[in-house]
Amino acid sequence: MTNYGMVIDLERCIGCNACAVSCSEENNVSMSQQWNRILTEGGESMDSPAGSYPTDGQDGTLSMNHLPLSCQHCENAPCVKVCPVNATTKRDDGIVEIDYDKCIGCRYCMAACPYNARVFNWDEPVTLPTDGTGNVSQREQGVVEKCTFCSHRVDEGLDPACTVACPSDARIFGDLDDEKSTVSRYIDQYETDQLLEDRDTQPKTYYIRGEMSPGRKRSGNELEGTEQKETGNPNIVSTEGGD
Amino acid sequence: MESHDSPGVVDSKFGTLGKAWVGFLSLIIFGGMVAWYQQLQTGLIVTGMRNVFSWGLYIMLFVLFVGLSAGGLIISSAPKFFHSDRYESLARFGVLLSLGCITVAGLLILPDIGRPARIYQFFVTPDFRSPMVWDFAIVVLYGLFNVWYLWLLTRRDLAARGSALALGTEDSAEGRERDKKVAFWSAAIALPLAVMLHSVTGWIFATQVGRGSWFSPLVAPTFIVKALVSGLGLLLVTAIIADRFTNFEFETDLRTRLGKSLGVFLAVHVVYLLAAERLPHAWAANFDFWAITSGFLIGETSFFWLWTIPGGAIPILLMAIPSIRKQAWAVFTAGALAVFGVIFEGVRLIFEGYQAVNINDAPGITTGEYAGMGSNIWAQSGVYTPTLIELAITAGLTAVGALIVTIGFYYLPIQRRDMVKKSIADGGSDE
Repeated sequence: MTNYGMVIDLERCIGCNACAVSCSEENNVSMSQQWNRILTEGGESMDSPAGSYPTDGQDGTLSMNHLPLSCQHCENAPCVKVCPVNATTKRDDGIVEIDYDKCIGCRYCMAACPYNARVFNWDEPVTLPTDGTGNVSQREQGVVEKCTFCSHRVDEGLDPACTVACPSDARIFGDLDDEKSTVSRYIDQYETDQLLEDRDTQPKTYYIRGEMSPGRKRSGNELEGTEQKETGNPNIVSTEGGD
Repeated sequence: MESHDSPGVVDSKFGTLGKAWVGFLSLIIFGGMVAWYQQLQTGLIVTGMRNVFSWGLYIMLFVLFVGLSAGGLIISSAPKFFHSDRYESLARFGVLLSLGCITVAGLLILPDIGRPARIYQFFVTPDFRSPMVWDFAIVVLYGLFNVWYLWLLTRRDLAARGSALALGTEDSAEGRERDKKVAFWSAAIALPLAVMLHSVTGWIFATQVGRGSWFSPLVAPTFIVKALVSGLGLLLVTAIIADRFTNFEFETDLRTRLGKSLGVFLAVHVVYLLAAERLPHAWAANFDFWAITSGFLIGETSFFWLWTIPGGAIPILLMAIPSIRKQAWAVFTAGALAVFGVIFEGVRLIFEGYQAVNINDAPGITTGEYAGMGSNIWAQSGVYTPTLIELAITAGLTAVGALIVTIGFYYLPIQRRDMVKKSIADGGSDE
């Protein structure tokens, strides 16, 4: 069985937001929302450090880290269990997906998600350009949406847009059930943690903290273990992936 | 005093006041419909809800009305189950009130839903793991049960009256006897059904690990007690109003006795269960004796104080003093304050779930509202104020419930003189 998951090396992450931008672009996300958020672990506002500046020859205590956060595609996903109409389901490959034609917009899943990974279309979605971007069709007003691990790309044998966009190779996507996959080996080799582990959601996004990993050198858009795609242009993020 | 030699059905006659009341309710309902139309046209952006605070007034009041529906059904079914005539004079009125409340609760879900036209999905592809499916089923079941039970309790009198609502039932002595047995078995269903309704509604919240204090085994028992408090409070308030403005009779000693029960329920809810919820946290988080004590006794939010003082301490005090609880105004006030308090307890529950965010690093979570280039779409904590549209819609739906009770009062034999007589004969030894 395939069970997709992601490793994000927080030591490699430079907080550039390239993954967030490519996500919004690829998935046609409204200007009012972001599926993939880059949080600053540090000061009060974005890209601000905690601690104090070095003064009078003393050492400063400034520290700052970035935490990219989107749907964790939990093994024990509360959002899937609460959906009254089976609009949110888990695919056989472990990706938690929403059927936007089924969603009644009750937002119970938003109450269930401890990560606030889900967003609701309170208003008509707004995109620039107005007829949308990327390879996923626009969601209607009144439904919940979230990161899909770019399932439309994965189905074509391509990595998620965020993974391809990362300039510092901090994101690795792959099959957690395959022992030889890079994600499995990295989880094995490096110290990783999952967010809010005490909630027993068993998230499938693993964060490396402490020791920096070498990162996976990227040469294309391809999903690990799949062959080179003719359609894939390694120089740009967007590809002809689905829809 | 009524004359006891005519034990017939009390006729409800509406004068100018009754017509004005129905006119007033219709106006509120019309206002709600206009607001709802606007919400359907523009979408849920017209509410005060956003991504961080994604449930608001509709759900807060859904929880309230589910609770309010408890009092009437329990007061009319519990004595029947124990073969007592104790609260007989309130039995039909109670079920009618219960039906009105559960209808409002069910309807309150509709404006909260982003795509209401897809609600049929509940029947087509339900996920039986979802507490919302359990709750949907039980709310529908409970509503239908109330309809059945109200009809069962009134059908012989409807037949005697020659009403079409008797649906072919005939009035006979044997029939009335048989109905007593059916009422016993119906009461045997009503009680577990009520317990399930309030527990399952509690579990909608209590199963969720992501929303602060919701994840607590205490939520379901608290929902049951809070249903007893608010349900009985509403029953007292409405019965006193009905007694005052119609020829419905609410006996003084029955009122006093139920007022005392309200005091007991309030004490269990606002004193005991709240203490049981707060003490372990206050103890674990503080070191000094006085720090533990103040952590235990002093609440942090205005909702807490609105709930515990006007909604707890004052009505408990009113009902604790025997000379005061004999007064209609005191029972009325205590009942109204009990409902008022439970409103804020529900508000507090939703705020505790949505105010704080588990991972709240900057810039936070997108709100889902975009006001143009350069505007801020981020929030690190939940804030919520209901909009006028939300208030108008909920007021309209509440008026629908009031209208159901009013119409039921008008068309159904809600009270018989002989019921009133029996109750007085039964319970004179209270004080």
